This record gives sequence, structure tokens and C-alpha cells, in this order.
Amino acid sequence: MAINLSSKKILVVENQAIMRETIKHILGLFNAQFIVETESGVNALTAMKINRFDIVLCDYNLPKGKNGQQVLEEARYLKLLPVNAIFIMVTFEQRLEMVLSTIDNKPDEYLIKPFNRLQLLNRIERCHARKTYLACIENEIDNGNLYQAIQNCERLLQQDDKKMRMQLLKLHAELTVKVGDFKTAEKIYRNILHERELPWARLGLGVVAFFLGDFDQAIKTFQDLIEQYPMMLEAYDWLVKAHEAMGNDEHAVSSLNSAVTLSPMSILRQKKLASLADKTENLPVAKKAYTATIKLGKNSIHRSSGDYSGLANVYLKSNASDEALKILYELNQQFHNDPEAKLRASLLETEIHQAKGNKALAQQAHEKTVKLNQQFNKQISRELRLEMAKTFYLNGNNETCDEILNDLVKTNIDDKLFIKDIVTLCDAIIGENYAETLIRQIKKELVDINNRGVSLFQEGNVKGALEVFKQAIAKMPSNQTVLLNLIKIIIHDLKTSKPDPEKIISAQTYINKGVQIGIPHNQIGGLQVELDTIQNKSNQ
Amino acid sequence: MSNTHMLSIGFPAILASSVHDIKNSLTALRALVGQLENIYQDPKPTEFRQLEFETNRMNNSLMQLLTLYKIDLSQFSLSVDEHSAADILEDIVAQQSTLLSLGNVQLITECHGDLFCYCDSAMISNALCTLVNNAQRYCKSKVLISASEEDDYIVFCIEDDGKGYPENLMSPDYKQLHQVDLATGNTGLGLFFTETIAQLHVKDDKHGFIVTDNNSQFGGARFKLYLP
Repeated sequence: MAINLSSKKILVVENQAIMRETIKHILGLFNAQFIVETESGVNALTAMKINRFDIVLCDYNLPKGKNGQQVLEEARYLKLLPVNAIFIMVTFEQRLEMVLSTIDNKPDEYLIKPFNRLQLLNRIERCHARKTYLACIENEIDNGNLYQAIQNCERLLQQDDKKMRMQLLKLHAELTVKVGDFKTAEKIYRNILHERELPWARLGLGVVAFFLGDFDQAIKTFQDLIEQYPMMLEAYDWLVKAHEAMGNDEHAVSSLNSAVTLSPMSILRQKKLASLADKTENLPVAKKAYTATIKLGKNSIHRSSGDYSGLANVYLKSNASDEALKILYELNQQFHNDPEAKLRASLLETEIHQAKGNKALAQQAHEKTVKLNQQFNKQISRELRLEMAKTFYLNGNNETCDEILNDLVKTNIDDKLFIKDIVTLCDAIIGENYAETLIRQIKKELVDINNRGVSLFQEGNVKGALEVFKQAIAKMPSNQTVLLNLIKIIIHDLKTSKPDPEKIISAQTYINKGVQIGIPHNQIGGLQVELDTIQNKSNQ
Repeated sequence: MSNTHMLSIGFPAILASSVHDIKNSLTALRALVGQLENIYQDPKPTEFRQLEFETNRMNNSLMQLLTLYKIDLSQFSLSVDEHSAADILEDIVAQQSTLLSLGNVQLITECHGDLFCYCDSAMISNALCTLVNNAQRYCKSKVLISASEEDDYIVFCIEDDGKGYPENLMSPDYKQLHQVDLATGNTGLGLFFTETIAQLHVKDDKHGFIVTDNNSQFGGARFKLYLP
């Protein structure tokens, strides 16, 4: 199965010149022609922006700036790696594996130093064989066609290749979880565990319990796993989610804190810890985590102005307004031409002046905020928009506050956690019932839109109905009910009229979007089957 | 003073960081040796074989040291998954490949392609590598590594045509050996490590274990690792 490296674009990321030489020499022995070498993580990412590499060999311990894991995370995040590319992490110790892995950011292989030419080649070949074998699944995942990916997975499983069986079962289970077919996922995990107690299958079972809403069971599973495998960070991450879903933020903070102690370099965990600790008024932990996030963020795409304002707010809460002022200064220094950062800075300025009792300056800063908000409101994150709503309300500008809240509820109506954040905020500052009335009203508006669309459809006015739902979806891109109705009508239209490849593609795109925003399997799975039938007929 | 300072950093961190540094140097050393070796025409001087052997040994010992230390502190857990036995043997042969190309030892593998075992493959191949490395040193011309199924166990077997294990390295005494023999230089650390890792592999009430004897089909030492 010898792989021919002559056609492969290879990137070698390694800070020691002598090792780069050696790796290049080895690759040369196997006919590699296109090799780019870099000595740092930053340069590695630059190289990946210029070339689409087939193979990346990346050392984990890169001095200064980004380490190997950060390179991998950012490369995946920025989609710099083609879907079938091989990413091999070179480490000194195999134990790192569990500490480093986050759910979506595992390298394809680990290679432990020191290695010789055959070890390197074996690793590349095995990886290549596996990737080639799984390409028909991975490509569909990459395109968002999860149902097609599941079908391909099932087809490969039927071929009964023992060497690939476990890989396929794992993928199959993960995909069924992704589309929300939890019963199937549970069955797969149970079958595997019946054969052997494997940590990833046990974790999977906990994840299924989580999604089925059985949080007690999920928490127990994750806690047992952590006791047995104290380095298994995925178990911590899920435990945190389960505590959060139970509304037990204190427990979530303490679990997340343990995970952060094990992986202090993971910016996303630090960030999450900062905001959770902030929410629970655990100021010392929040302060520490925000500070760590800011430091790690200096080398990361996950850098955000929110971390600075978060830290400054924690200082304000602990009556250290001078410290807060320092952070504000830093925030202005670090971010240029970033609307979100500008808004956060002026918000922060308002609060600092208020804390210091400088009324006139506070008013000035608030006016700046209003102006910036008019300019950028639609471009900023929903969390910041929620904060803006609060500021407007506190400064007597109820109209703008209503406007923002209305829009936020409308676009996030299916996101329970965020709606809960909105309700908490409104209850605290505007008064009880405000949020509930607003939510009821918006739900009614939605029902009206639906009814209008459905009755147009029943009158036989398919075009009109489609128009109603398409307009609604443009306004509320993540509304599940509207999206479902839109898909139903397109499919009905396809069934009753001539086959139209364009309409099939549009239905598939909407289904993929539905899966992505979390429409459950029992509602969308049937529509996918119907669409598949239509497509098969039109292909005949 | 210095004592309290060290405690505050923590010995595990110091050990891990030292191992890291030494491995770093070892990796660079191997790379340099490789470059030197490229200068020579075949047949290359036999000293390269010795260098490769020694660096392999240092590397394996370091990993074992770190792992045993973590096990002792209860900071270690296996990372078990299903692996093809053939892949594990292939990894071992790969690790030994440079050594093999320089010497006149024949390394033979025997394994069915459809044989799978549940294990921590990195640990198992590290453990077996050390033993194969030793077998190469003590054999005359031949080492056989094989994997097969025996009752409910997967068995990895290493046998050679050398003089066989000395009396003190044969079962069932090997568990105590590491204490007795530390002074003689023949520590049996590799065997002790393998036994320790084997014990951590569990299915229901069955644990992994090792057996050593001199019943090799070639007349030398025979080592067997049983994994449930």
C-alpha cells in the first residue's frame, strides 16, 4: 500500500533545525518533492494560507507563540486544511493525548519522538489508508449532508472490514448523535460496551443521556469516567454542560475549574470558566480565568474584546476602578477598527465613570455608546447586544432597549439557554413578566406567520406560502418551526410537480441547515427520507 | 531551604520536565547520528548499530521511568482501544528497523491479519520494544515475535536462539527481581514494566500477565505477554 509522496504537498513544523533536516531527508527518501518547512506556529498558519497541504507534521512543543495544538485548532477553525488532509502531531509523550484532545480537535495521529524513517512512513501510510477509506463519509460531513454520511457509514459497515469496524462504529454513533437519532446511538454504544468497556463508548452513552434530558444519569456517567480516567478532559467538558443544563452553575464552575487546572493552555475552557464564574459571582475565579484568557488570546484567533471588558467589570464589582481603567486602556491599545471592541470600550468607560462618580463624563461616554450602537448594532454578537439593551434601559432609553430585546428574542426563540439569559436580565432590571410577555407575543407572531403560510398552502397557493416562509426565515434564520414548514412545502411541491434538480438542492440545503440548528431527528429524519426517495426517482 | 523550594514546584513536574529535556537531546542526538551515518558508504561501521541500540534503550527506559512513577502516584490510567495485533507488531519492527538494517539479526513476525486486541497500544509496543531490543542483543541470529489467541487471551510472544534467560529472570520470580538485582546491572526493569502494564489490562476478573522461560523453538529465551 506504499503511498507515493511525490504528488503530496507536505508541511513540516518543527523548531529544531536538525530535526527539520532529518524529517526532510526521510521524506525525500520516499520521493517527496513539495516540502515547506517552518519553525513556528504562526508561520505554519501563514504557510497553510498560501498552500493547501495534504500532510502536516507538526511538533507539539513549539517555543513562543502558538503550540502545536493551537496550530491545529486554528487551522481547522479557519478551514485551512482540506478535508482529507493528514495532520500528525509530534510529541514527546503519549500521555499528552488525552489532555490535549478537545472534542473536535484531535489530530489524525500522534507520533512520538524520537522516531526513525520507517516509523514515520508507517504512520503516514496508516493514516492515509484510513482517510481514503473514510473519505466518502468525511466528504459528506464536510458538505453538511449528515444523513448521506450516515448512509455511507452503514454501507461500509456492511462490508465487514474488521480493521475499520471500530472506527466506523464510532463515527456512526457520533453522526447519529449529531442528527439527534439518540436511540440508534444508544444502541451502538451499548453493543460496544457489551463487548468491552471502552471509555469513549461509555462517554457516548453519557452524551446520549444528556441529550435525552436524563441529566442525573449523564452526570453520574461523566463523574465515574473522571474517577477512572482523571485526565479525560472530554468527560469534564460534558460534565460542565450537564451541570449547566441542570441550572447548577456552581457545580459547573467547580468541574470546569478542575479541567482548566489540567489544561491551562486551552483558551476556550478558560474563556468559558471566566464567564461562568462571572455569572455565579465567583469573582476570584473569574478574575484569574479572564486574565489567563487575555494572555492566551494574544496568540489566538479566539482573542476577544469581551475578555477585557469582562475582567474590567470584575474589577469594578470588587471596587477596583483604577484596575478597571488599566484594562480599558489595554483594550483600546489591542483592538483597532473592531466595532465590537469600540462598543465595549465605551460601555466600560460609562460604567467606570459612574463608579467613580463622574456624572458628566459618564453621560458623555453614554452618548458615544448610543452613536456607536446605531452604527454597528447588527454587526455585534448577541451577548453584547443584550448588554447594550441593559445599558439603554438603565439610561432611560426604553425604546431602543425594547427594539433590541424584541429582535434578540425573535432570532433566538429556540435557544433555551440564551432565552434564559434574557429572562434573567429582564427580571433583574426591568421587572418580572416583561420578558415573559415579550416571549408570548413573539411566539404568537410566529404562529400567525405559520398560519398564514399554511392557509396559503392549503388554498393551493404554493408560491405564496413559500414566499411567506422564505421571508420569515430571512428575518429569523434559526427558527425551527418556520424552517420545518418551509422544507415540508418544498418537498410537497417536488412530489406534485415535475422533478426539478434546483428545488432538490434547495430542500437539501434547508435540511442541512435544520440539522445544524438542532431540529430533532424525529421531526426532520422523515423529511430526509422523503427527499431521498424523490431524488432516487428523478435519477432513474 | 532548597528542599522546600523543590517541594513547592513538585517532583512530578521536575521529573516530567527533565524527561522532556533528555528526550529532546536524545532526539537531536539520533538525528545527528543519522546525518553522520549518511556520510558512510555501505557497509557502515558497526558502531552505528550500537549507537542505535543504546539510544533506543535510553528512550524506552525514560518512558518506563515516567510511567512507573505515575503509576506509583496513582496518576496513570491506560488508554485502551481496539487495535490490530499486526499493527502493533509492525510498530515494533519499525522501531527496530535501523538496527536491523545494520546487523545480521533476522527479525521474523508471525501474526494473523484478523487478530485484534484491546490494549493501550503505545504502552504495549513500548514494553515489547524494550524486550525485542534485548532479545536482539542476546540472540545469535534470530528473533521471532508473534501474536496469537490462547483461550480468552491474546498472546504476544518473543523468542530467540540465544543462551536463554539467566536463572534469576525466569518466572515466577521476576516480580521481586527488580529489588534484588538493581546492583548487578541486570535489573529486569523491562520485564517488571511489562508485568506492571499487563496487570493493568483487565477484563471482568481477568488480568494480563507475563511468563518467561527458556522453551523457545530456537532453543533460547521465550517471553510471553498475555492480555485478556
